[in-house]
Amino acid sequence: MAAKPGSAPVTYSPNLGQKTRPPIFKDNDLDWVRPDGRGFHQCRPAFFRTGAVNSASGSAYAELGSTKVIVSVFGPRESKKAMMYSDTGRLNCNVSYTTFATPVRGQGSDHKEFSSMLHKALEGAIMLETFPKTTVDVFALVLESGGSDLPVVISCASLALADAGIMMYDLVAAVSVSCLGKNLVIDPVLEEESYQDGSLMLTCMPSRYEVTQLTFTGEWSTPDINEAMQLCLDACNKLGKVMRTCLKEAASASQE
Amino acid sequence: MGLPNASGDLSTEVEVDAFRRLFPLRFYEKHLLESIRPDARPLGRARETTIALGAVASANGSALAKIGSTTMLAAIKMEVMTPSLETPDEGCIAIDFHMPPICSPIVRPGRPAEAAPVVAKQLSDTILRHANLNAKSAVCYLIFVWIQSLSSSSPLYLLMIIDVVNWVLKQLVMCNFSSGMINLKELSLVSGKAAWMAYLDIYCLDADGALFDTALLSAVAAFSHLEIPVVSLNDDGKIVLSEEQGLSDREPVNKEKRKINLSSVPFSLTCVLHKKYILADPTAEEESIMDTIVTVVLDSSSQLVSLHKPGGTVLAYTSAIQDCIALTRQRVKELQKILEEAISGMEVD
Repeated sequence: MAAKPGSAPVTYSPNLGQKTRPPIFKDNDLDWVRPDGRGFHQCRPAFFRTGAVNSASGSAYAELGSTKVIVSVFGPRESKKAMMYSDTGRLNCNVSYTTFATPVRGQGSDHKEFSSMLHKALEGAIMLETFPKTTVDVFALVLESGGSDLPVVISCASLALADAGIMMYDLVAAVSVSCLGKNLVIDPVLEEESYQDGSLMLTCMPSRYEVTQLTFTGEWSTPDINEAMQLCLDACNKLGKVMRTCLKEAASASQE
Repeated sequence: MGLPNASGDLSTEVEVDAFRRLFPLRFYEKHLLESIRPDARPLGRARETTIALGAVASANGSALAKIGSTTMLAAIKMEVMTPSLETPDEGCIAIDFHMPPICSPIVRPGRPAEAAPVVAKQLSDTILRHANLNAKSAVCYLIFVWIQSLSSSSPLYLLMIIDVVNWVLKQLVMCNFSSGMINLKELSLVSGKAAWMAYLDIYCLDADGALFDTALLSAVAAFSHLEIPVVSLNDDGKIVLSEEQGLSDREPVNKEKRKINLSSVPFSLTCVLHKKYILADPTAEEESIMDTIVTVVLDSSSQLVSLHKPGGTVLAYTSAIQDCIALTRQRVKELQKILEEAISGMEVD
């Protein structure tokens, strides 16, 4: 018996654990350790690789902990016929999730805003005037969601753009910080994100020290904001270096 | 078939590339005459194939399969459902094939690729052999109509008909025994109350020809990697994971059934036909230039599961089909070995 169309049975996951587990952070308990044993101000090790998809003009794969993302760039290619004439190029972004990305099947479609946020984060870094009348498509697929998905997508997308040879002022690196009680934790995992009181995401061009996007949500105090931003900027700097090494490696490998 | 302006200056790489784009068919025919393909493969050889099991940690079973640069990621998530009244002790498998916009320049978001539903249907037919059931009901209906139309005529006919019906029924029973690579009864948890629904989702990450072959390989690999969690019945009558709910003392519902038995694993090979040539495992370029494809699916004991030739400009002779099947038989052995190596590699870890 296959799944008959129109009569899909109602199913549920036997994994109910998440809701019943006590919050990982209680009051002022400073001895608390993060689920993966990192320090509060320590990012997950980042792995980047360009050229993941052969049929695309440029692509990149990023893996931070269990967050796995693949981004393909197509173009510059002809804009849709319905588009108005434009002296500058257009950027078109789309972020989607696989059905098995989230612990509960099919929850990835909740992130509808990610596509436009990715667009806004990259827009400022790309020299759009170098490809007039055409469109560059940036498509991202989250293979597995392990927390801090959007920052990973943004960093990975800028790497894919570089791989495609699209002119940019600088690479774009993105990092997020979660506020859990009195603590700031950088690069939060899914579990931490579900208990956070507030979150901050910063995307910047590290070599130019310019911010392309900055978002706050939830409860924040001014000193916390300052500290969190400084944390993010430092982390972006380091992430930018990792991304740059990845590009250099790819370039030297192709020369050989 | 000489090249236009076949003097020495055509040998530069740029001009070869231009020739390839302008006269793709002639470019290929030049190669075929030498029994070689532009990527240096002989005609009957498939591209390099790799399988990585357990690529997705959030799924119960997963695999990444690569044939050349065509890449497929398959993952299985197990959920619990109430089985239908007709089949109270059977689970269910839902197969979905996705071509996200990242995989190919021709797929745009919001507009699903044309090839995706075709591959999805072929996959579920192959894995579930559901087509069998449809064919059976059609045959039954035809016989029924035939009997009705003849029943008014002589009794001699009637005797003959009974013979024929008996024969057909025998065939149908035999069909039943060879149903699918997975016995859905193995997915039952509590008869009539709960059974597994296996959601198999296959994502195409990079599309470069032979989509069905790669998708089937990743699906088969994901099933062989699948590990069913231990579950028990809680007080509300729901099925939950034993360890997480502190129900370890309670008898699990599925103590013995942690792995699914795969009987007769299907493997496939797609070939492109062009004139008298047969090219195994085509790339996307080859598929677009020479549009007649034949997909053969054989199971691990080399029995024919399905054969698919969706039209095309080349009309195949029986001998061409037989050659395709012979190529597939070789390929099945290769694929079996690759899958076995991937599985034994997992066990060492």
